[in-house]
Amino acid sequence: MSMQHHPKSEKRHVDIDVDRVAKIYAQAVVEAADAASCRREVLAELGSLAREVLPKVPQAEAVFSSPKVSAEEKAAMIDKIAKGRLLPTTVHALHVLARHGRLGILAPIVDAAECLADELDGRKQATFTTAMPLDTTEQERIVGELERTVKSPLTPSFVVDPSIIGGLIVRIGDTIYDQSVATSLARLGGRLQQRNIHAIQNREYSWHT
Amino acid sequence: MAHLTDEIASVLREEIVRYQSGIDVREVGRVLEVGDGIARVWGLSGVMAGEMVEFPGGIIGLAFNLEENSVGVIILGDYLKVTEGDEVKSTGRLLSVPVGDAVIGRVLDPLGNPLDGKGPVVTELRRPVETLAPGVAERSPVREPMQTGIKAVDAMTPIGRGQRELIIGDRKTGKTAIGIDAIINQKNSGVKCFYVAVGQKDSSVAVAIDTLRKYGAMDYTTVIVSGASTAAPLQYIAPYSGTAMAEHFMYNGQHALIVYDDLSKQATAYRQLSLLMRRPPGREAYPGDVFYAHSRLLERSAKLSKELGGGSLTSLPIIETLEGEVSAYIPTNVISITDGQIYLQPDLFFAGQRPAMNAGISVSRVGGAAQTKAMKKVSGGLRLDLASFRELEAFAQLGTDLDAATQQRLDRGYRMVELLKQGQYAPMESADQVMSIYAGTRGHLDEVKREEVADWEKGFLTFVRDQMPELRERIVSSNEVDAETERQLEAAIAEFKRQRAAASAATPRQTAAAR
Repeated sequence: MSMQHHPKSEKRHVDIDVDRVAKIYAQAVVEAADAASCRREVLAELGSLAREVLPKVPQAEAVFSSPKVSAEEKAAMIDKIAKGRLLPTTVHALHVLARHGRLGILAPIVDAAECLADELDGRKQATFTTAMPLDTTEQERIVGELERTVKSPLTPSFVVDPSIIGGLIVRIGDTIYDQSVATSLARLGGRLQQRNIHAIQNREYSWHT
Repeated sequence: MAHLTDEIASVLREEIVRYQSGIDVREVGRVLEVGDGIARVWGLSGVMAGEMVEFPGGIIGLAFNLEENSVGVIILGDYLKVTEGDEVKSTGRLLSVPVGDAVIGRVLDPLGNPLDGKGPVVTELRRPVETLAPGVAERSPVREPMQTGIKAVDAMTPIGRGQRELIIGDRKTGKTAIGIDAIINQKNSGVKCFYVAVGQKDSSVAVAIDTLRKYGAMDYTTVIVSGASTAAPLQYIAPYSGTAMAEHFMYNGQHALIVYDDLSKQATAYRQLSLLMRRPPGREAYPGDVFYAHSRLLERSAKLSKELGGGSLTSLPIIETLEGEVSAYIPTNVISITDGQIYLQPDLFFAGQRPAMNAGISVSRVGGAAQTKAMKKVSGGLRLDLASFRELEAFAQLGTDLDAATQQRLDRGYRMVELLKQGQYAPMESADQVMSIYAGTRGHLDEVKREEVADWEKGFLTFVRDQMPELRERIVSSNEVDAETERQLEAAIAEFKRQRAAASAATPRQTAAAR
């Protein structure tokens, strides 16, 4: 299902329209990279550009997304930054985005492209939420265990949330497998309440006998 | 107190021992925007159309629109408590309501929650709100009468068990009154009644409930309320949940009657939802599937075949017209779905003819099949006679010279109109209706003064009850008017006329004074 989303976009405000546009460009980027058989490299380059370089230079994003800066100026900038340093496919992709005025949504496009690449590889993205940080061996064990269960390779990401008290929550796509202590307690509480409401309604027992 | 703590502790222990920790698997989405009773949700990629979803705090929603990137959800509850970014869980279930004997006598909201302060509805039985209507093979023809207790309806547009008869008219023409009277008349018939109030003022619903209680009708009636102040999603589903509760009795071989008051308000609520969900507007801005919304609702009324227990669900949908405009979108839709309509006219209402039924355009497509033999015999042709009387009456106003035959038809018509007047909350038993309509259609009232017709009828029915109970008993038990019954009826009328004449001759002054 195409509604999977990358864990890195979790905090981003969801904008359906941007999402839809991003998917179209993402598909183009992935297909172009596939044609040059360098999908992994192109995605890695775009990813580091969107997530590492741009956040360091906040003005750059403003310039890229501004309609005041003409496409030619943006293209010149891309050439200056990227030519020689990045793969030609990556540079072309950036040029296309600049020409269409879509450089401002580079981050969602990269997210969508990674999603699509995973889907093409038959991989699924999984988010693991635990109360405590896990070390590498624990992470590998859990991921390996789950990969066997869902019978497909996973792209894992890990989140720490002390409010779940203990246990583990796994999210694959839109489905959540929840075995956290917090949820179990809530369910137990709900069941106790239900059972007693029911018992009182049916006068199964009275407290004063 | 120690005893109490022990008991609580033991219950807790027992519950914890029995608790099996399973993995909680659910599909989730996030609320993108919310307002006006609807929410747009991102995620929930595997949700089904019409599936129930759950917002934080146990608020329930229905997946209404499935789009490429989002799901439109209608919120059945307090939508002000849902906020952007909330997690939405799919439940994999369809919306259902409690059904069975536990709902009888209750006032409920469309989700089956009590509104009457009489505690929770204790039942395990539930039924999905939206179900498929029974198919052709599962039905049998409508034959049994569903007595409304209203002379004009039972004589001219008889309603059968399993029929859908529309009550249509302008505001303040007595539409609700017919529905309420029909419910009150089911007192000893074993028919379970359901009154669905959609988009009504809460004050008028309170009056209706109070009336039902006063006449002892709440013992077998359920009221489903979704007033004008409730959110549109609840108004939209109210008729479906009422039908689900009524269907339970139908599928268990019993008989049920449901009054939808009114479906034009439901259509308006549905239009609001559809427009907010950005479904394209059609005629009068209603969505394209508003016909389906009503047809799938009313198709669920049926008379089931013998193999399925022979139960039935009769429905009386109500539609309010504006300025008598029956050719508006919703009225024409519902007219074409139902098996007939009772058309109420404001001018008749204000002229004192109540129920203000227009005999000319009111019909029942089931017709005589749904009448008792007795009623069929005495009332045959009454509707057409009355309709032609109305034409003649309009014509007669032009001139004064009328031949005797025409004058006679006019006189008969005036008396029949008087005879068909009936007070509110005063349903009549079938045998009484047969006797008074017999007297009218056979011309026994022709010499009675117009303003004395009601008095004559009352007196005659009391006379038969007091002095000739065997005649009434005969009609009740045989449900037929054969030659012998007819002879006895003629004799009774003759005797009553003699006694009435004697009484008025003896005390002319008193009668005059009383008048």
